[in-house]
Amino acid sequence: MRILYFAKISEELGKNEDLLLIKDKLRIIDVVNILKKKNEKYNLVFKKISNIKFAINCEYATKNDYITDNDELAIFPPVTGG
Amino acid sequence: MKIYFQKKDFNIGKELNNFSKKNKNVGSIISFVGKVRPVNNNNKLKFMEIDCYKKMALHQTNKIIDILISKGGIIDYQVIHRFGKLLPSDNIVLILVASQHRKEGFFFIEDLIKWFKSKITFWKKEFYLNSSAWLKSQK
Repeated sequence: MRILYFAKISEELGKNEDLLLIKDKLRIIDVVNILKKKNEKYNLVFKKISNIKFAINCEYATKNDYITDNDELAIFPPVTGG
Repeated sequence: MKIYFQKKDFNIGKELNNFSKKNKNVGSIISFVGKVRPVNNNNKLKFMEIDCYKKMALHQTNKIIDILISKGGIIDYQVIHRFGKLLPSDNIVLILVASQHRKEGFFFIEDLIKWFKSKITFWKKEFYLNSSAWLKSQK
């Protein structure tokens, strides 16, 4: 699964994307919990999940929505508009 | 009917002229240009960086424009929205809309801008003389 990061989240992680292999389907929150275990930087960035927005394949999603390995997950702060 | 998300600037006169030539049989063409404010929240701006999730922005903008067009009266439109590094007074966005009557065109522009301000997957970071800040959501 491709995971994309934007704006402050991308800046704090020091990267724009990750690749993660998952079996079957997982909820977004489960994916975030996997990411948090990667290292302290991830753990800090994803600590306050209430300030984070998600999208699956370019559609807004919530932390309890399910995702599969073929999906593109985007993780970003609330948008600040054009 | 075109939407562009791009780093490069646009020529307002050229875009409006081409759009007008393309839409000979309409009653109204309205243009809106959004620009970078040199001062924001009492801070003098050095420059701004806009990060964007281009694929999602395009997908979502197409969806909202389909809804706006379903209200009727819109004949053609063109949207150019810039991202990347922008300086004070730079152009950010150009919306052109052709309609039979002006009213539908003004509604189209107002609704689209409101949507851009609250929903489009763009993030602005402003750089001032001695500091910088990601802007907060306008919702």
